[in-house]
Amino acid sequence: MCAYMGSGRKTSGINSQSAIITNIQGFSIHDGPGIRTVVFFKGCPLSCRWCANPECLSGTPRMGFIESLCAHCGACLDVCTNNAIRSTEGEHRIDYSRCQSCGNCKDQCYSGALIRYGESMTLAEVWDAVKRDKMFFDSSGGGVTVSGGEPLLWARFVRELFELCHQERINTCVETCGFADAETLLEVIAVTDYFLFDLKHMDSDAHRKHTGQSNTQIMKNAALLLEHGADVVFRQPLVPGINDSTWNIEATARFLTGLGEKAIRLEIMPYHRLGESKYRALNLVYAMNGIAAADDEQLEAVRKAYVQCGIECTISR
Amino acid sequence: MAEANTELLNRIDALRLSERNQQWKKAMKASGWKLFADRERWTVASWRETEGEDIQIRRAQLFKKIVENVEIRIHDYDVIVGRPTPGVIGCATSFDVCGDYIPDLWKDTAELQITLDANVGLDPESIEILRNSAREFRGKTAPEMTYKAWEAVVGSWVMDAEAAKLKDPTLDTAIFGQTTSVLMWNKILGKGLRSFIDEAQEHMDAFIANRETNIDKLYFWKSAVIVCEAAINHSRRYAALAREMAEVEVRPDRKRELLQIASICERVPEHPARTLHEALQSMAIIGVCKLYEHPMHNNPQWGRGDQYLYPYFMRDISDGTITLEGASELLAELIGRWGTQTFVASESLKESHQINFGINNIMIGGVDKSGADCSNVLSYLFLHVIGLLQLSSPTLGLRWNKATPHWLMNKAIRTNMATKGGIPLFENDEVVIPHFLEDGIPMEEAAEWCGLGCVYPCLPSRAEHYGAEGVAACNMAAMLHLVLHNGVDVNGKRTGLETGDPRELKSFDEMYEALMKQHKFITHRTFWLAAIARREQAKYVRFPFLSTMGIQRCMDLGQDLLIPDPDYCMFGISDRAIIDVADSLVAIKKLVFDEKKLTMDELIKVLDSNFDGQRGEEVRQMCLAQPKFGNDIDEVDLLAKKISADSYRIIRSYDNSPFRNYMIAREGLAWHYFGGLGVGALPNGRKAFEPLNDGAVSPMRGADKNGPTAVLRSAIKAGFKESHASVLNQKFSSAILRSNESIDKIVAYTNAFMSSGGSHIQYNMVDTKELRDAKIHPENHRDLIVRIGGFSAYFTQLSPDIQDDVINRNEHSL
Repeated sequence: MCAYMGSGRKTSGINSQSAIITNIQGFSIHDGPGIRTVVFFKGCPLSCRWCANPECLSGTPRMGFIESLCAHCGACLDVCTNNAIRSTEGEHRIDYSRCQSCGNCKDQCYSGALIRYGESMTLAEVWDAVKRDKMFFDSSGGGVTVSGGEPLLWARFVRELFELCHQERINTCVETCGFADAETLLEVIAVTDYFLFDLKHMDSDAHRKHTGQSNTQIMKNAALLLEHGADVVFRQPLVPGINDSTWNIEATARFLTGLGEKAIRLEIMPYHRLGESKYRALNLVYAMNGIAAADDEQLEAVRKAYVQCGIECTISR
Repeated sequence: MAEANTELLNRIDALRLSERNQQWKKAMKASGWKLFADRERWTVASWRETEGEDIQIRRAQLFKKIVENVEIRIHDYDVIVGRPTPGVIGCATSFDVCGDYIPDLWKDTAELQITLDANVGLDPESIEILRNSAREFRGKTAPEMTYKAWEAVVGSWVMDAEAAKLKDPTLDTAIFGQTTSVLMWNKILGKGLRSFIDEAQEHMDAFIANRETNIDKLYFWKSAVIVCEAAINHSRRYAALAREMAEVEVRPDRKRELLQIASICERVPEHPARTLHEALQSMAIIGVCKLYEHPMHNNPQWGRGDQYLYPYFMRDISDGTITLEGASELLAELIGRWGTQTFVASESLKESHQINFGINNIMIGGVDKSGADCSNVLSYLFLHVIGLLQLSSPTLGLRWNKATPHWLMNKAIRTNMATKGGIPLFENDEVVIPHFLEDGIPMEEAAEWCGLGCVYPCLPSRAEHYGAEGVAACNMAAMLHLVLHNGVDVNGKRTGLETGDPRELKSFDEMYEALMKQHKFITHRTFWLAAIARREQAKYVRFPFLSTMGIQRCMDLGQDLLIPDPDYCMFGISDRAIIDVADSLVAIKKLVFDEKKLTMDELIKVLDSNFDGQRGEEVRQMCLAQPKFGNDIDEVDLLAKKISADSYRIIRSYDNSPFRNYMIAREGLAWHYFGGLGVGALPNGRKAFEPLNDGAVSPMRGADKNGPTAVLRSAIKAGFKESHASVLNQKFSSAILRSNESIDKIVAYTNAFMSSGGSHIQYNMVDTKELRDAKIHPENHRDLIVRIGGFSAYFTQLSPDIQDDVINRNEHSL
């Protein structure tokens, strides 16, 4: 997805560890202060039904196929040594039981219908890609954000990336679902300037039902971050019918105000279905069919409810 | 000035378009553009009366005849008076300058297509006046005589080269249409036209006392006196008309206004302006007179309006002579009137520039001669008024420097949103000023630079010969086409040099060498023809009013601005499509020379078939997948830099006195559509006759896949330091600019580009039409990224129904 990826650039003297990255996106203006470059890591311990980045759910590279871009040239069929691409009447599908995600097919696919989600990148390669935008970070107060998936699955990589950032005075931000053990979190706190921390549901059972995990560890981690003086903005993906009930909003507000004075910033992330295309490309089932996005009025009502509880609440657009 | 009067800025933000200006907008839309023949009536009359006189005097008399006789009118919503025609929005023709240039003129229907999208019907009397004028001047004007002279020298080559878009049509885009200058507004407002007359008279007295012999000088000063007196008389005609109207006016408010118009028009432009109102009225008369001299004169041009008007504005506001609302209304009136002045464009100008309204440029901000930023509250008001008017012209440039205040930048981006893109154009003082200094221009003059037309950096008090007599655009993509066809152009004519069969080229370096040989051949020939054009132009036309109002050296030397002189002439040239050429060369290098995926023979055959058939489409996709400029890839970015430098060297090697200053400015406008018509399919994947890359450093359409910061890094790397202006067009979805925080991020983005040496940048909004097109032609829109917090995807990778969602979101926020 990104031209720097897989470019084989090496910077000598930097640790040679690697991570699986799905995208490195410059000029991100909704993911922390200033103009930021967001590094999307692959793999996530949660499996939220509304996830907009399903390509980041599993921890390994996976081929995707975008039907609307296919030129039906057949070049991919010729190069696939695993017979993993099936073509019937011009339409083709990837047989994931055979696909090794080698990417040979995408190298032949000039129309861009075949893409590999996830490239193994060394720290040096990621560093080379992100540091390029330093002038924009400097002029805007921006920096690097790690996201995903869950970047804390790659905590050591993140820590070393952020150490390099700090050497160059580049601001750092972790966007996390909060599900990690305390040690992992502590590994990155010292080198992270800013956290974007998701709160999905206050009811543990509901949390488990919709994300696959209980919220106990997440809520502990929220407190842990604040104890360590971290700069945190909480985020709530607001999903109609799942976590937008009055109860949940009140419970979230109580939780936040209970964390102390520093925990008063909350950003509402309105649910959207733009990720659905990626489910199709990956041949995954999209579980959110029929759920409509909240309109501006509803969002504003939720925002007001938070504000009344003393929370500095904004809506991400 | 970095400190702002916040209270005043807030009051400006709250200003709305006044009732009077809304009325004018409504009337303008209802009336539509109209063509008036009155100017031609007086032109022909004068020309016959002055037969046999010196050309300088004849042109001055012609001007006088027009401005002292054309029909004038004051509309109900006019407070500032002075229009090029009696209509709400209208234009006149200029057969005396351009010759018989309107093909529709001789049609039986008497319907002329004067705009890109509208026809006007003329009454039989008017059409007869126009035809009479066309008959009078046909075959005797400067462009026609120039073509004749060229034909004598190079035969049909000129027409062939024009047909292949290797050269712009001289009639419109070179001297005849677009020699112009930003007027000396400081002098006009500060001293008044009477002082110009006195100055010319002193020169004549000294000439006689010193027993000088160059009688042409005397003619020039004489012509200066004639045109200044005539312009004063033009204003007095408005004064008389206003008094007449006041006598019968029954509404007391309007009566008072008419009397005020009369007394102001009796004072200016003859005498110095004392108030903002007088200053704007003085400008209105001078501006309209400039258009009477030559209706295709590229409009009045504001220049640095926020500088020379500031003292009047602040004095009037602080002593209560005028309210902020009143000042804003007057300013909006003149900006609006000048922004909607049209001219009758010939077919080829419509085709090459897609316009027939003069692009009127306002310049704000920037440094003074000491290098200190001089943005002020009036700069802010200009932006606000432009946002209120919502017109496609004037364009507005903001001269950026390290000290440009944040409040002005923030307002600039908000204005960009209010106008739905394009305005303002950010232009870098720290790039442009050093260029002028390198060319030997002193700092006090260089610091006054401003944009002319859409972009051209120009110095008030110097004549800008845009297009350098028919060179105008140096179409590098067409040159590449010549290389790939051994000198034969897209129409099958051998307009280029025989650089050899491209299949025989052994290396990429040989290919590059062949391109530069074509460049030298075409450039040499066009500059040579330019010298002929220069000689012809001065024989058949002069512009005494523009010379007197615009260029101090003309007054000092006693010489019309159409007499080429290194002291005041700047010849502007654009060498274009460098990005297409760089992308194409990299594709050839990779596919043919390095990886040998294609032979040169196959590539050329596929290009000649315009990527026809399945194999053609496969090759096109291969071509599109090669590295492209705009993604921060060294190989192609540095090649663009090299092409830029080599092209510059070729062009500036013609910089011989007296024709110095072949200033390279790579601007934008719509030329890339026109230039593309002369270029077959290119190895970068562009199909035949499609548009070329726009601006100077804008990536190929849809090729910048790594987002807006990578585009800027490529542009900075390519540098294009040789060019006085290199325009980069960037686009954003308006959805990302919903909050003030986001707006500040665009400010920071702009600041980063400019402080790293970027030259010119402007922002457009991605519109719904483009998104719809991206659904159908994804290959042309691979750059569209949907950005929402925590999510990103390329638009073209979304499923059609999701794409519709995004389109709806976009529409919502427009």
